[in-house]
Amino acid sequence: MAEAILTLSGVSQTFPNGTQALATTNLSIAAGSFVSLVGPSGCGKSTLLRIASGLLPPSTGQVDRAFSAAPGDVGFVFQDATLMPWATVIANVRLPLEIAHTPAPDAQAKAMAALERVGLADVASSYPRELSGGMRMRASIARAIVTNPRMLLMDEPFAALDEFTRFKLNDDLLQLWQANRWTVLFVTHSVREAVFLSERIVVMSPRPGRIANDLTVQLPPTRDANLRLSHAFADESARVTNVLDQAMEHTP
Amino acid sequence: MKKLGHFLLPYVFGLVILAAWEGGVRMGDIPEYILPGPVAVLIALRTNFGELLVGLGVTLQVTVIALLLAAITGAGFAFLMAQSKLAERMLFPYAVILQVTPIVTVAPFIIIWVSNIFGVLLILAWMAAVFPIISNTLFGLKSVDINLRDMFRLYGATKTQTAMRLLIPSTLPHFLSGLRIAGGLSLIGAVVAEMVAGTSGEKSGLASRLLEASYRLELAKALACFALLGLTGLLIFTALDWLSRRLLRHWHESATDASQGGN
Repeated sequence: MAEAILTLSGVSQTFPNGTQALATTNLSIAAGSFVSLVGPSGCGKSTLLRIASGLLPPSTGQVDRAFSAAPGDVGFVFQDATLMPWATVIANVRLPLEIAHTPAPDAQAKAMAALERVGLADVASSYPRELSGGMRMRASIARAIVTNPRMLLMDEPFAALDEFTRFKLNDDLLQLWQANRWTVLFVTHSVREAVFLSERIVVMSPRPGRIANDLTVQLPPTRDANLRLSHAFADESARVTNVLDQAMEHTP
Repeated sequence: MKKLGHFLLPYVFGLVILAAWEGGVRMGDIPEYILPGPVAVLIALRTNFGELLVGLGVTLQVTVIALLLAAITGAGFAFLMAQSKLAERMLFPYAVILQVTPIVTVAPFIIIWVSNIFGVLLILAWMAAVFPIISNTLFGLKSVDINLRDMFRLYGATKTQTAMRLLIPSTLPHFLSGLRIAGGLSLIGAVVAEMVAGTSGEKSGLASRLLEASYRLELAKALACFALLGLTGLLIFTALDWLSRRLLRHWHESATDASQGGN
């Protein structure tokens, strides 16, 4: 297994109102891996992601990163596209570079390249409201990858999309990841999505949020859209669903 | 044809009312010092046009300067209050008091404390106009998308970068909506201020002319002042509405084609 890029040791989160969002948790993420966090609402998966991003300091424990936590090393994709409605698509994608004072021509070129990678080059100067939900999410992904991050954190990014758009974005994300090998930590409540994309699935259960199981996905590392139709995929989805159900049963 | 009718409807309605008024005044043989008809008002407007225009200039000057001051100070106060819960807790009740206090009751004090009459008018008009700007801007600053805030934090944006690139554009629609309300209030404030401050002479505004004319039972002239003030209010609103649409046309629901019924 490759070197760990992110290690959470004894991390827990209790909010000021006393709710324990995350019980003491240890988790290590290998560099270049695609890891999904799966579980029902309230299992602390979003909290875990926010801790990993550095946006939320944990109540206890320690977060170690194998890279300098400089801005731009972590790309974050929210559940909503979270674009600035007053700025064009390319201006939205340029933002992380502009905050870091990247020279304008350089920022423009990098933003355009990122948009090309997600297939949005032709709507670069449109405004977000002129785009479909799927395209907005692509723009959001372009913004997250424009700094060429070490880690990509995604918080249920496709949850609000219809199934066709979702499959297409899954396929494209898979291709992007296979080409670039960022480390991806991907939160979802869809087992099939997690199985399709990930090498490893961390199953979480609620009250309090904690890791219930940690699975390696038994599917070939190189995948494409056809995988979704295979028996192996159906079997693997069933296996993970089973584990998830067991985790639920043990929930107090 | 139907579209044209739709467009003309309010004007036709207004003309019908004016015609009924004129007809009523003529048929009832009502003297001009009780109720002049629209024709008499128009004649009064033409006869006194120069004088009234000067008055309008003064009132408009007070209105516009007070509105600008209200925009700057109101947005500033809101920004200050948005910085900390403590500042908001400390200041907001006073903003509310400022709003609910009728400026007529404050005017006598301001007149004693401020010797410059233009200054008095400005202060009173400002008092009338500033609250909706504070209130709307503060609301806007508080409703900035929490995820966008997180994103700016994630990329290590400085306070200035966050203010310039996130807070100001995101709050702009709310600020502009406050400004549109404040435009009308500023004019009302200027008019009321002139009336209580009792300005007179060459440099008095349109409201003072209205008062003078009504004292002298020159009702046609008073109504001409009234009509001019009404038109000015409409003009201010239209101008601010145009500004708002212009600034937000690319992105905000209130200014996009969809909100205008596809015109």
